Amino acid sequence: MALAAPVMRMASSSAFLPKILPTTLFSTSRIQIYAQQFSLPLLPSLTLAVPVGFQLGLPSLPSILEGIWESILKAVPKKKTSHMKKRHRQMAGKALKDVTSLCKCPACGEIKRMHYLCPHCAATHPAEIFSLAPTPTSLLSASGSSALRVHSTTDPSFPLQQTIPNAHKLGCHHICTARGGLGNVAASVGFGGEIKIWRLGPSSSDEKRNEWQLEWELPPSKTNGGDVWAVALSADEEYLACTTSDGRIHVWEIGTREKIQTYETGARGGGSFAMAVDLSRDGRLTASGHESGAVYVFNNDAGRMVYSLSGLAKPVRAVAFSPGCKRLAAAGNAGIIALYDMEHGEHVGNLTTPSGRPAWITSLDWNDAGEYLLSGSLDGKVKVWDVARGACVATHSETESALWSVRWLPKTERALGPGMAKSEMFCAAGASRSLTFYREATGS
Amino acid sequence: MVLPHLETFNPPQQRPSPTSLGTNFNHPSRIIQVPSSSQNGTLSLIEDLLESIVDALSSGEELVIPYASVRSLQDGAVATLNRRDARAVDYVRFPGRTVQEAKKFEALFRIIELSHEALLSGNLITKRNIYYQDPDLFRSQSAVDDMVDNLAFTLGVGREDLNIVAAAKGLVSGPIDLILHDGSIHSCDIPGDTGMLLPSVSSIQKIDFRATRWLLVIEKEATFRTLAASGYYRNSQAGHGIIITAKGFPDLATRRFICILHSMRPDLAIFALVDYDPHGVAILRTYKYGSQRLDHEMNAATPQLRWLGILSDDILLNVDTERHESQDYSQSQPSQEANLNVSDSQNERPIKRVRVTKAKAPSESILPLTRRDRKRAVEVMKEISVAGTIGVDGPDQVQELQRMLMLNIKAEIQAVDNHGDIADWLDEKLRV
Repeated sequence: MALAAPVMRMASSSAFLPKILPTTLFSTSRIQIYAQQFSLPLLPSLTLAVPVGFQLGLPSLPSILEGIWESILKAVPKKKTSHMKKRHRQMAGKALKDVTSLCKCPACGEIKRMHYLCPHCAATHPAEIFSLAPTPTSLLSASGSSALRVHSTTDPSFPLQQTIPNAHKLGCHHICTARGGLGNVAASVGFGGEIKIWRLGPSSSDEKRNEWQLEWELPPSKTNGGDVWAVALSADEEYLACTTSDGRIHVWEIGTREKIQTYETGARGGGSFAMAVDLSRDGRLTASGHESGAVYVFNNDAGRMVYSLSGLAKPVRAVAFSPGCKRLAAAGNAGIIALYDMEHGEHVGNLTTPSGRPAWITSLDWNDAGEYLLSGSLDGKVKVWDVARGACVATHSETESALWSVRWLPKTERALGPGMAKSEMFCAAGASRSLTFYREATGS
Repeated sequence: MVLPHLETFNPPQQRPSPTSLGTNFNHPSRIIQVPSSSQNGTLSLIEDLLESIVDALSSGEELVIPYASVRSLQDGAVATLNRRDARAVDYVRFPGRTVQEAKKFEALFRIIELSHEALLSGNLITKRNIYYQDPDLFRSQSAVDDMVDNLAFTLGVGREDLNIVAAAKGLVSGPIDLILHDGSIHSCDIPGDTGMLLPSVSSIQKIDFRATRWLLVIEKEATFRTLAASGYYRNSQAGHGIIITAKGFPDLATRRFICILHSMRPDLAIFALVDYDPHGVAILRTYKYGSQRLDHEMNAATPQLRWLGILSDDILLNVDTERHESQDYSQSQPSQEANLNVSDSQNERPIKRVRVTKAKAPSESILPLTRRDRKRAVEVMKEISVAGTIGVDGPDQVQELQRMLMLNIKAEIQAVDNHGDIADWLDEKLRV
């Protein structure tokens, strides 16, 4: 099942663009047939070329044949096009044609090639992208640089909508929006330890356009003890959960700007570093993944821990509730994804590939139907897992550099631009500093 | 009795290449003069100061020594890039308003006197030695250190110009000769030796570089000793080189020495090998851009230093070569190679090929960051963002720190070595 094929890649240089086409082709199965047909004309010369080795080894071959072998040897097709050949083609009017299919980018107004990504908009980040947060219409990305960027996901060219400069001085490591929510609130955490809450509102310059504006900043001093690390927003965009390096999970109410709950996972500040956090969509549960390999689940109504799951043993880098809040997926350095049942707190299965040493998993995300699970790992591979079958149904390795975040784009009745099918899409980003969008392959 | 004989005989067996004696003939000497620093200026500055005190004493006025503190300035004006100009001069007076000030005057006067003596005689005096001149007066070593640095800062000279130095900490090893002012020749290439203590830069007259091509600065003494003992500076694939360590955070003398080496041989490639942790980055930055506290010292930074390792890629993509046989049906490979297979396998036989895949998995010897490490990392990142325009490779350092924090890992130099032998790794890195 070819679930997804990369449709476009946003790279920081325009020189990269021509490479998109081959990548797209190679992921379909058709190209392999092509390649084989292509190889056929070469066969005779190569099969004949094999005995040459014997001829060299045995000098007693008939001397008449020698000339033939030699000519065959020289008849090996040349790969390089000579200058003369190129010139001949040019004089005959068969040279490469000038590119005239240019248009203005609807987002930034710069001239770009038609049907190609705008290189100006696509210059995503000057540093590694650490986190992604999708809303129904856009995708927010946070990187090691001080600015946050917002790309529209309703247009097939994914134009840059907004850049929030100087959001986090030392760079931003986590950004989140509410999964299953309206997508009007976002929270980001900087390396300096500060949390910023952003809200989508009408722009000050143009009333019709919506822009992200800073609503509230939580300085590091307010989260007493321990640096803030991961964040999660509840589906109703009312509550914010953040983890700290001393293993605590703080829950803040955004409306009143007050801390309403603190979960301790160790004896006073001695907890293991909480690397991941997630809130279930029904708002009932909070899960945290820790350096020690432990996964804790808290009941928000009762305000206490309900499950302590310790199946992974190695640091947990991602936890994610299924949309139906029935399952919890956790993964990390172990390289496997553990699935837990949330009704009884049981370990119900693992998602693994039979490879020798699996890479560290850095990010997990469920699609809206709860059917597929997406994972991104440090070796640059994106995997799509069929949860019911417990198998990996697609692997994409467009990059060799680490992936920090993979996210499904919410499936909504959005106003789709031309060329945007209603298929599911996801996005991956990481050390390559570019956003890579994938969509479900259709018609095969 | 046998020992001396062994020492002269053993090395040729250890290494196939000609040893110290042999290479001396192979590689002609390349002696470069150390650029001399003028000390007369400092002497006259100090003499002026002493003179003014004597004048004040004879005329019965208040005795005054100008004294600006490096620290007080840092608190006030962190962002001022050119602090040399922003020097706000304070004064220490006698008779002082408090007992502390009187004591401070005495201590400061004593240091000036000792420095004057040292300048006149041309000898060097260590900070430790100053302290032992009058432990009761100075109370602690750090008080002396502060006062010496502040005095140098006030006079606008380097600490070394006062002929006051810190006790040597750095070690050097390599096929070079240091020729001191007194005519003695110190070879840094003694087989089986684990490094020579760096002499003060001002005592070096000439350096014979011979055929050295690179300089490697190592954070850890243990790694340095292993490399020095195995004579890596000689049998490296990258050619002859020099290795230096300052045992952790670099002292002024080591930084000066590296700086001098660079000014004498700008073509010498300078690399740094530090741990993959926030301290490693901080140490690297100290070598490169100097320390904040001793920012007034000239010629103590080498911005040309390149960060050899350990970087996150060295740890995360620790290449594990796995060999496994796989049955490749050539149909699935549209490459030229595959075509050959097609032609071979017309009798429908799948070809067994040994495929070497490089599994990239994180190294085993990594540690989690402690909370202090994480704090330090953020501090270093802040420093880099304040320094802003100074470092060209600031972004690289920030990126490595951010990765460190994201993954919450650190690693020592030993993470990349092959059971204690880092030479292979270095060969690969230095070649580039």
